[in-house]
Amino acid sequence: MTSPFPTPIVILDRVSKRFAGHTAVDELSLSVPRGVIYGLLGPNGAGKTTTIRMIMDILEPDGGAVRIFGEPGGGRAHSGRIGYLPEERGLYRKMRVLDVLVFLGEMKGIDRRRARQRAGEWLERLGLAQWRLRRVDELSKGMQQKVQFISTMLHDPDLLILDEPFSGLDPVNAQVMKDTVLDMRHRGKTILFSTHIMEQAEKLCEQLCIIARGRKLVDGALSDIKRTHGGHHLVIGFDGSLGGAAQVFADSTLVSKVDDYGQYAELELASGADPQQILQRLVTSGARLSKFELQEASLNKIFIDLVGPEAARA
Amino acid sequence: MHKIWAVIRREFVERVRSKWFWTSAILGPVFFAAIIIIPLRFASTGGTKSIVVVDGTASGFGARVADSLARGKTFTVLARPVPRAGLLDSLTREVGRNRLDGLLVLTDRTLETGAAEYRAANVSSFRDIDELRGVLGRLAVNARLERAGVDPVTVGRAQIRIDLETKKISGSATTGESSAQSFWLAYVMSIVLFIVIAVYGVNVMSSVLEEKTTRVVEVLVSSLRPFQLMLGKVVGVGAVSIFQFAIWGLGGRLVLSQRAALLGTTSPSDVAQDAAFQLPPVPAATVVVFLAYFLGGFFLYSAMFAAVGAMSSNEQEARQAQQPVVFLLMIAYLSVFALANDPGSTYAVALSLVPFTSPIAMPVRWAAGRVGPNELVGSLVLLGVGIGGVTWVAARIYRVGILMTGKRPNLKELARWVRTA
Repeated sequence: MTSPFPTPIVILDRVSKRFAGHTAVDELSLSVPRGVIYGLLGPNGAGKTTTIRMIMDILEPDGGAVRIFGEPGGGRAHSGRIGYLPEERGLYRKMRVLDVLVFLGEMKGIDRRRARQRAGEWLERLGLAQWRLRRVDELSKGMQQKVQFISTMLHDPDLLILDEPFSGLDPVNAQVMKDTVLDMRHRGKTILFSTHIMEQAEKLCEQLCIIARGRKLVDGALSDIKRTHGGHHLVIGFDGSLGGAAQVFADSTLVSKVDDYGQYAELELASGADPQQILQRLVTSGARLSKFELQEASLNKIFIDLVGPEAARA
Repeated sequence: MHKIWAVIRREFVERVRSKWFWTSAILGPVFFAAIIIIPLRFASTGGTKSIVVVDGTASGFGARVADSLARGKTFTVLARPVPRAGLLDSLTREVGRNRLDGLLVLTDRTLETGAAEYRAANVSSFRDIDELRGVLGRLAVNARLERAGVDPVTVGRAQIRIDLETKKISGSATTGESSAQSFWLAYVMSIVLFIVIAVYGVNVMSSVLEEKTTRVVEVLVSSLRPFQLMLGKVVGVGAVSIFQFAIWGLGGRLVLSQRAALLGTTSPSDVAQDAAFQLPPVPAATVVVFLAYFLGGFFLYSAMFAAVGAMSSNEQEARQAQQPVVFLLMIAYLSVFALANDPGSTYAVALSLVPFTSPIAMPVRWAAGRVGPNELVGSLVLLGVGIGGVTWVAARIYRVGILMTGKRPNLKELARWVRTA
């Protein structure tokens, strides 16, 4: 199963999906290497869920090809090796917790006895052991979320596909989710997740793909994307007095773009501009600084720069 | 295959575990018995009628009629006054005040011309009128014959009534089934088929709807094909219905075998009178036909109910969308009297061949009369084809519908789902 060259686990080759009246995904190509955490990023309505549904074989693409684990076709044939957490969550409300987990485990192709044993272990691990015989609708929302994670991980999948995994989670469960994802990653599993929260993606993803309106804007390793799309960024914090900062920011020979928050600003330097000159001019203009930091752009900044015009055109 | 089995098992176990299942397992027969027996009881027991016989006869005919009526169970004769001015008016007022149920007016002309008059608040009770007509007719004939000089003993012998016993010929064997029993069997079967197909069909619909609204369906269809999921669901719910029938059957048997003990307080003559309400002997072939058409009807309608569940986003929408399906099922149910009265009519034959109505129409015709083997096979083949076609369309609607949210599709959109799925 392991090859010397990391073969991509998921490949999309110019995949398209049209619904009545609009194109949800338009000739999207991407490739998810083995053993990475891969982020599928985009604003709401970008086509992330549709893309994931095509990978999962829930929807059939109108054009293009999907390959999973090197084989043509969607994920249904490999459902035993894939854990899937849909964007909108839910469980059978009237069923007992353990029965739901055993049933969903069977759907992933493991037998009842093993499913029962694994479900027991997971419930123990997440502190739900005493709830195993209770009905799902007797559990709090947070507990139901945990049960749903368990159903995703129960069969120890090689590929985890999570659609907006952090949305709607309380902080405790968000931590559980993050730890689980990292634990899977350390065990050599592949994780593909979609999100529109860039801070999360920036901390977790090694590789990513940004899409908007069904089209790919950029993909690759996070560090490469930051290098090519980041530009030079300057973060400035003020300590009360702004002095003549406004004039300095308006000088197009120094600053090409500014994101001004009042007491805090993110600048993109004009090509060839010297950051030290900005510092000097700010200080002489009477500004008091609490922070002056040269850094690469945040993923959020890159995302807004890339998606902004797309979104504006929409 | 293992996954379909898991779906079937889940549907079965979760349903059989529910209170709902055991409630209907126990109360179902009580309910069916009630809806069948209560109307019968109301039709046959109107209570005793208190009447007055206004006797204008000089021959003693009025006295004989009053005695004979008083011996029967239907009437109580309060008085037998001789007619005088104002009597009829005052008695009529008594009827109007509900102190009296009716008055029978007899004169000497009754024997001559056969004219008599019964005035009552309720003259639509067949039982009352039949009884009156019977007694009057019998006694009038007696009186006329006696007047003509015939020996009363001879008259009495001539009066021995014919009791026409009806037996249904099934194939070439005479069964013990009477025409009343044939009808009631057909009637009961149509009620059971209608209710059970509708109830379990709606079960399939809610199950689809639950998976759709909780989004569990997304996880499921990423592991097995939508068609496999729908199939597992229908088979699972169908298995519950068969289990339900088994419980009803066993329970019914138990009750029948203990009937003597249960009816311990009733006198034998009452039991004999209730013969029409007793369970007729149900031939094995009828049971097989019943179950075959039940299963066929269940699969046909469940597929439609599954599609209805898939195209709706909540219970309320589903309740509206299921109406056409329920109406379709009702056509045969509402035709049960026509089917049982004339099982050979063109209408009856048509209903028992069309797949949407045959699951109810054919068992009714089978129970009520003779159905040729060709017709039975033809009807079953058509039903099979119907199930195939309906399931094909329903599966396509199901596949698209389970992932759709928002507005319920109109017919045009549904047609597109079927084309593109």
